[in-house]
Amino acid sequence: MDTILQVENIHTFIGQFHILQDVSLSVERGSITVLLGRNGAGKTTTLKSILGLTPPSQGRVVFDGQDIRGRRAFEIAAMGIGYVPEHRAIFRDLTVAENLKIAERKRGDLDRKADFIFGLFPDLKRLYRLPGNHLSGGQQQMLAIARALVPDNKLLLIDEPSNGLAPVLIEQMMEAIRGLSATTTVLLVEQNFIMASQLAQAYYILDDGTTVHSGAMADLVKDKALIHRYLGAVAESVGGER
Amino acid sequence: MRLTAIWKSGKVYIILLVGLVVLSVVGWRSMGQQSFVRTALSGLTLGALYFMVAAGLTIIFGLMDVLNFAHGAMFMIGAYAGWQFYTNPTFLFGLAPLVLALVAGMVVTPLIQPLAIRWTIPPHWRQRLRAALVVLAVVLAIVGLLGLDVRGLAKTAMVATMVDPLAEATPQEPLAAFWRRPVLFLLAGLLIALAQARPGDRTQVVRRGAAQRSIVALLGFALLTAAATLARESAAIAVLKMNADVRFFLSLAVGALIGAAIGGAIEISLVRPLYVRPTFLILATMGLSFVLRELTQLLWDPLPYAMSRPPLFSQPGKAASILEWFSTHTLTVEILGVTFPSYRLFIIALGLAMFVLLMIVMNYSRLGMTIRAGVQDRDMVEALGINVRRVFTLVFALGAGLAALGGIGAAPFAPVEPVMGDRFQMQGFITVVIGGMGSYSGAAIGALLLGLARAFGDFLALKFSLTPAVSEASTVIIMALVLLSRPAGLFGKKE
Repeated sequence: MDTILQVENIHTFIGQFHILQDVSLSVERGSITVLLGRNGAGKTTTLKSILGLTPPSQGRVVFDGQDIRGRRAFEIAAMGIGYVPEHRAIFRDLTVAENLKIAERKRGDLDRKADFIFGLFPDLKRLYRLPGNHLSGGQQQMLAIARALVPDNKLLLIDEPSNGLAPVLIEQMMEAIRGLSATTTVLLVEQNFIMASQLAQAYYILDDGTTVHSGAMADLVKDKALIHRYLGAVAESVGGER
Repeated sequence: MRLTAIWKSGKVYIILLVGLVVLSVVGWRSMGQQSFVRTALSGLTLGALYFMVAAGLTIIFGLMDVLNFAHGAMFMIGAYAGWQFYTNPTFLFGLAPLVLALVAGMVVTPLIQPLAIRWTIPPHWRQRLRAALVVLAVVLAIVGLLGLDVRGLAKTAMVATMVDPLAEATPQEPLAAFWRRPVLFLLAGLLIALAQARPGDRTQVVRRGAAQRSIVALLGFALLTAAATLARESAAIAVLKMNADVRFFLSLAVGALIGAAIGGAIEISLVRPLYVRPTFLILATMGLSFVLRELTQLLWDPLPYAMSRPPLFSQPGKAASILEWFSTHTLTVEILGVTFPSYRLFIIALGLAMFVLLMIVMNYSRLGMTIRAGVQDRDMVEALGINVRRVFTLVFALGAGLAALGGIGAAPFAPVEPVMGDRFQMQGFITVVIGGMGSYSGAAIGALLLGLARAFGDFLALKFSLTPAVSEASTVIIMALVLLSRPAGLFGKKE
């Protein structure tokens, strides 16, 4: 199979703290891969390290055949990585239209993608001229994902899309992300195990800043002991608990 | 129901508007129309200048969390640059070849980087090598300046006001002696470029297409350097022979551009390495403002100079209305029964124009959109593939240019002196605090309030023979009152 992202033994410090202590993973082109693990296991930092927002101090990150470790975040992103941070980090002072427009890397990106984006999230069309801070939590999450879809991204890093959403919205979000994998590759961080298990083909489990387990999602679902050991109560609850 | 919604969204505006109207009515009745209008117009003039200083400060703080204590120095540099260009540009044209040569050298980084990073240098020597290169560059630049009568060049404008400016326009060094200076500066620039390339550091990414652009830039700047070297005298004479009004508007542009260029250079060299240490940044910019002030004193002595007003604003007589002024260009204009200097009205117009321009840039341009987004979340802007560092440099340059423009605007009616920047910087900071850090419309309202407070405070001080310190204190009192009711300022979002 064709690997689009290869992370080899990266270590990341944030200030004095050694957050990632040897993380390795690889993502196949066109797949959905999920990062699992407890709070504070280093999932978000892994995404940020790939993107260069928290640059790893050692190891290798190979994206689309090029070693990108040490490059600046904007250069890495411009190679075709879209980032959907947790907590729906949209720009609250910008309108929905501006939130999408700012993500353009080439003139006309938004015009080309508008139909696709509005097909995925019809609400955004109605809210197009509203400022971001007028949107509900679910709408903000949709906007955050839509923003990553404006340029032609080869890989999407999506951090906890279900966090704090009502169950009906989680369903909608899952449909949207599943739809994305037809055209792009997704690396997902997700606490909601039900959602993760239904979406992803492959998984990695992080614990204390290290990748401790990986494999095909179909195998993990059967291995209740493993789930319990590393994911604990989180995996047994249905999402939206926080 | 609807009324409460309006109240909620525009509370600040409504209170301010009502307050200003009430105060105006009281002032108008008690002071009489004449003194009221005159004082209000003076206040607007000051407010326009405060706005031009505060706008840059507030955007720079909002986007980068930098309290730029060198911002007043930009105001001062603008005033000096504009004054020099208008009165006698000999100094500017005398130094231009050196600056251009330095830049020409510095742009080659992408060109030499692919070679330099392949050198085998042990890691602990790399930093020392870079430091040595920069020191060597500074030495070369100093050698390049040795024997050049910089003070002599600077002094030309001081005497030019009195006598025929053309007679003083030609103290430039002959080409035979001068040519080695730009060459030395070019070498210094090349050394800095080499240091920037981080020799031996193979993790550096060489960008595609950057080398070609760098060749074009090198050739362009080298040509400019040569032209500037040859045209040192003739350009100065040409500028002085120009129509004085055209020269005045050119000096506005030149001063703003010089301010912007210096602002950009400061961001790249001094501010950028210190973003991670905000406290150091305050000290560094404050120190820089001292250095710039002393440098100005060294060149022009700690004396106040008066820049003469261009003919456009200095024809004898009085225009009966603003409309009439457009054909008479008189020194004063009658407005609402008051005789007021036309140049000060121009400053008010300039401040307004800058506000409108800034509003358009912030709301309708991609740069403005990026700034608004960056004020909230810099990392996310970077994660979209936008070079935030370049935006920082641009914004720093933009703010410095705006402050410099304010400086030249002030030059024809406020003394041009080394300390002029400090006064305006203090008022600028108070303006920013009142308006709310990061909000340019807040800066506009704060500047308006402060300008009016200063003008009416001066009026009251004069009337009741109080110390003029009353008007200075009034601005601080306003700040205290605003902060008590709204700790983030009138339009502030950041704490």
